[in-house]
Amino acid sequence: MNNTFDLHRFTLLLKRQWLEFGKIFLITLLVATGVVAAFYALTLLPLQELGYISDQLRFREPLFIIFGFLFISIIASSYFAHLGQKSKAIIDLLIPASTFEKFLAGFFFTSILSVLAFLLIFTITDWAFITYIKSYFRTGDLKELAEVKTFFSKNEIGTFAPVYVMPFTVTSVFLLGSAYFNRFHYIKTAICVMLFSGAWTYIVMNVVDVLLSGKTSINLGNNGKDTMEWLLFSIIALCTLVVLSITYVRLKEKEV
Amino acid sequence: MIKIDNLNFSYSKHRVLFKDISMQLSSGHIYGLLGKNGAGKSTLLKNLAGLVYAQSGKIEVLGLDPAKRQPALLQQICFIPEEFHLPAIKIDSYVKANAAFYPEFDHQYFADLLKEFDIPVGQKLIDMSYGQKKKVIISFGLATNAKLVIMDEPTNGLDIPSKAQFRKIMASALTEDKCIIISTHQVRDLDNLIDTVIMLDENKIALKATVEEITDKLSFKRLKEIDETVIYAEPSLAGYNAVMPNYHQEDSKLDMELLFNAVLAEKNKLKPIFN
Repeated sequence: MNNTFDLHRFTLLLKRQWLEFGKIFLITLLVATGVVAAFYALTLLPLQELGYISDQLRFREPLFIIFGFLFISIIASSYFAHLGQKSKAIIDLLIPASTFEKFLAGFFFTSILSVLAFLLIFTITDWAFITYIKSYFRTGDLKELAEVKTFFSKNEIGTFAPVYVMPFTVTSVFLLGSAYFNRFHYIKTAICVMLFSGAWTYIVMNVVDVLLSGKTSINLGNNGKDTMEWLLFSIIALCTLVVLSITYVRLKEKEV
Repeated sequence: MIKIDNLNFSYSKHRVLFKDISMQLSSGHIYGLLGKNGAGKSTLLKNLAGLVYAQSGKIEVLGLDPAKRQPALLQQICFIPEEFHLPAIKIDSYVKANAAFYPEFDHQYFADLLKEFDIPVGQKLIDMSYGQKKKVIISFGLATNAKLVIMDEPTNGLDIPSKAQFRKIMASALTEDKCIIISTHQVRDLDNLIDTVIMLDENKIALKATVEEITDKLSFKRLKEIDETVIYAEPSLAGYNAVMPNYHQEDSKLDMELLFNAVLAEKNKLKPIFN
């Protein structure tokens, strides 16, 4: 018997976890759909009072980023939260699946399913409202209407490629928080993230200040922007892998 | 089946629970784990299941290290904790989600046990009383056919008829390849069920002996007056309930509560008898 990974056992584990976690997940997803739809409705409706449409749709970027962050972080923060309670943790830790499979199930639900689910509800809500607006203003200013695009066709997908690792970074950090803390997982993780990012920003700013003081920038096309973006991507991706590895170790060492 | 070598465990520097504990437990036995509150009964069980990690020493269960939490071993461990949470689903959904992890799960046996415990099958687990939930989890655990059955205070929350049913079920659940360990402070609940007593006290195993060995070496009697041969005695309505050395190989019934108190009070007198 393979004590590290077995596909049949992993499938059973996903099914089992869905029974408990699925409810939390679906309720959160329902609330998220409601909030996103409400945001669109409150900003855009009634359509007869709508001003310049493209301007009115600018709320989508902050909504996508802020609410997306909240959604995936809440989901990730609740996944291993039950391990902080003795009564729930004992049965879960003793389920005959390896720690790796339990960790992988956590990664699947929090980093893959939650991100995909949020993208899906956002895309559908956005598409529904944009289609409605377009059909409502069909006879109006065609030039203005042509500028009204769905969220993902308006924003060129390739432009933001280096930041696509960010959802995984967020979920990995909050997943670690859910396995590490026994109570108040979300608040404690958020505080740690704030402290760590504050300290990190302070250090980076000071180092950059020391390194670049008295120097002048030389114009080299895009000033190495692309290289820096991909360097940043590599650093964040590496940090995400480190955080995921710590989560795995923490799960392995979890005591009740 | 279980081998413990020089186990040292503490929750903190000031709270040492086990100092160099060593013992072996075999299949085909029902062990009763006794001890005062805080003696470490639950912690020892958790060590055996790999739920906590010892500072030093070695534990082997079926030849594997429980701390590694390998599925091959977890399939062979049935742990009934004192506190547990069951999801808000029906029994059949619970079985569907969990039974497949145990290759030897016996669905018919599970159904028989539920019937014996008089559990309403269609009810949601969350709507059941604590005692009913406990019976479900005991039934599920036994139906897994795990080789090591660990139960922490299994009779807590069970009503009087259920305790009798529990004893009957446990007695019939024991097979040659199974090892059952039951921790309790309600020693009377385990009367006639356990065949070996393990008593924890002051970070050590104060006593590990079969019921036969105990009654061979000690005699449990009711006396009107006590003399110097008595190891330990407690006043009762008719005089004293006493524990004394069984010099004349007399038959007596083990009084677990009396033995427990005797071990705690007269450790030094009992030690040479069992060594």
